[in-house]
Amino acid sequence: MQLALIGVSHKTAPVEIRERLAFPSEKMRAALEALMERAKAGEAMILSTCNRVEIVAEGPSDELIRQFLYEYHRIGAEAVSDHLYCLQNADAIRHVFRVTSSLDSMMIGEPQILGQVKEAFRIANDAGTIGTNLSALMNRAFAVAKRVRSETGISQSAVSVSYAAVELARQIFRDLTGKTVMIIGASKMGELAARHLKRNGVSSVLVTNRTFEKAVEVAKVFDGAAIPFEHFTDHIDRADIVISSTGAPHFVITKPMAERIIKHRKNKPVFFIDIAVPRDIDPAVNEIDNVFLYDIDDLQQVIDANLKERLKEAHRAEEIIDGEVQAFCTRMQSREVVPTIVEMRASVEKQRHEEIERYRKKMKDFTPEQVAIVDQITESLVNKILHNPITQLKGMAHDPRGADFAETARKLFNIKPSSGPSGSEGTTGSTGRSSDDEPPV
Amino acid sequence: MGGRVRGEEKFFTLHPALPLLPQKSVHFPYAIIFRMLTLLRLALGLYFLGLTHSVLTVLRRRETFFWPAAFAMIAGFICQATAIGYRAYELQSFPVTQLYESFSLFAALAVPVFFIVYLKYRIPSLGVFAFPMIFLMTFMANMGYDQSDAIPAVLMSHWLYIHAPLVILGYVALFIAVSAAVLYLVQEHELKSKRPRMLYQRFPSLEVCDDLAYRSLAIGFPLMTLGMISGVLWAHMANWGPQWELDTKVLLSFFTWLIYLLLIHYRLIAGWRGKKAAYLAIAGFVGVLATFVGSTYYSGFHTFTQ
Repeated sequence: MQLALIGVSHKTAPVEIRERLAFPSEKMRAALEALMERAKAGEAMILSTCNRVEIVAEGPSDELIRQFLYEYHRIGAEAVSDHLYCLQNADAIRHVFRVTSSLDSMMIGEPQILGQVKEAFRIANDAGTIGTNLSALMNRAFAVAKRVRSETGISQSAVSVSYAAVELARQIFRDLTGKTVMIIGASKMGELAARHLKRNGVSSVLVTNRTFEKAVEVAKVFDGAAIPFEHFTDHIDRADIVISSTGAPHFVITKPMAERIIKHRKNKPVFFIDIAVPRDIDPAVNEIDNVFLYDIDDLQQVIDANLKERLKEAHRAEEIIDGEVQAFCTRMQSREVVPTIVEMRASVEKQRHEEIERYRKKMKDFTPEQVAIVDQITESLVNKILHNPITQLKGMAHDPRGADFAETARKLFNIKPSSGPSGSEGTTGSTGRSSDDEPPV
Repeated sequence: MGGRVRGEEKFFTLHPALPLLPQKSVHFPYAIIFRMLTLLRLALGLYFLGLTHSVLTVLRRRETFFWPAAFAMIAGFICQATAIGYRAYELQSFPVTQLYESFSLFAALAVPVFFIVYLKYRIPSLGVFAFPMIFLMTFMANMGYDQSDAIPAVLMSHWLYIHAPLVILGYVALFIAVSAAVLYLVQEHELKSKRPRMLYQRFPSLEVCDDLAYRSLAIGFPLMTLGMISGVLWAHMANWGPQWELDTKVLLSFFTWLIYLLLIHYRLIAGWRGKKAAYLAIAGFVGVLATFVGSTYYSGFHTFTQ
């Protein structure tokens, strides 16, 4: 297997470059076909998202893929070559594993990338550009991504303001179902937070805004109730979660007001989220029992802590990937070495039988015992001669140079080159299967 | 005054003959295996695994090894229950008259109660409090064990079967309540301080902690009350004289009971929840510990000595 990967990502190229190299999904099939033809690839796949464009191919040199990329997008080499990264074999495998596991993402641990890679794989598969090698690689990559996700905490904690708000609300309330959220001041951020809360079970939404029409408009989005700004204090007792984001220059909710609210609520806890700058809620409100106030900086602090945690977990994920890359390389190498051994044996054995047939006439006076002895001698000779090459090859099964070594052996013994296990079909039958996850022996 | 009672009537001892046990059984290996001390030590070892879970959870700020710990706790419980059963057979009575016996009973009851709570609330982090307490109680039971101990004659009564289990079960419920209260305070502190750590995400929400604290109080308090009433009736019927109520343990448990009464009152009438209620629950449990564990240091019927 000769794997090459060429690409640009948010780490190496600005968006102006990335967008020029992107493959729109409707043209993906045609692009794949062009790639197979022009770069003479055995197998290929293209991943094109807003953060990265990557081509993985089995067979061609990276130079051919580069040429294809320049020609296809009608772009000069000088414009993009500095931004392109180009990886081979083990490095390419590692990169695929890291991308799929969301370790190379802009936001480490974000879950979308796995879906995007799966989609790219599906399109390539439909286009018929996936063979045993890439399918083995990608299936392993999906398994690795799953492992990373379940064994490390890289995508566990919230890293956006609205998710952090949901997570904190979950630490206060048993269950968000049946809870009421009030939005004071219809801002985009407030709406986003409310949307996340609603998706997580919050059942009713109250919206209040200085311009009542805007409140009505937002309330409609959430199936909620609009409340005139002058009266919001009459309704705020009902809210378990209050998101405030008005443009007011002074506090909208003061400490005495919060004290009154908590008294009316018979000490039922209330969660204030203040995402306005300047702040809407007096920070002293947090001192009241059963009242929890988070302003935008507090939320940011939560997010920063979570990010730090993710980075720590990313180290553990890298360790998992190191192991997986090694295991996968070994598997792929033994996929080449083992069939070679089998074919080598088969080929020499075939020659022995042919030779015996050739001398059959001259042996017609031999007694059956003598024929048996000839058979024994030749067989023993074959085994003796093959013993060293086979031992050496077996030893190379777990060596990175194993593939080259197998190739040399094939040349020496004049065995037809194979393109993976399917290339050796007919000779032995033991290597013809396309199962990817099991080593052939 | 306890001394006076003991002076009047020598407690009778079972141990010189242990007539209920066939003497030769001592030679059978299974008899040795089933000896209370062996089982109790086995239980202690298993509870130690539970303790490890608690320590690791706090150290690594991560909920790990809950299930292995839980299985160890269940296995430990089976050993301990068998040990108590064996002791009951040995005494032909309910083994709660020695302090260590009541500790053992407390620990043995706390395990199933923990798992009942777990089934309802799914709070593995409660184990961080429950497992060490169970370990500690079993440890003390191990320390104090003396096969020759027998039931003080003054306590030979059917009331023992009512009074002691009610009180100890009440203590277990109140222990769950105080654990939930501490969980609440930790979680509340994390949320208020806005310095989030990984651990806090594994802890139950404030609402759950408060609810559990309240419910276990609502179960523990009546049990404790009934236990005390049965004690009063027992004292009355056994004609222990006019001064039984000056027994230190009786007085202490009355004060403890008052704290819990206050807590119930504030919760129901003043709508207290969360932090204040948690503090009062802790105060109440300090009273429980003083009554339960501290009774070694003062005299009376509850000294658990012969």
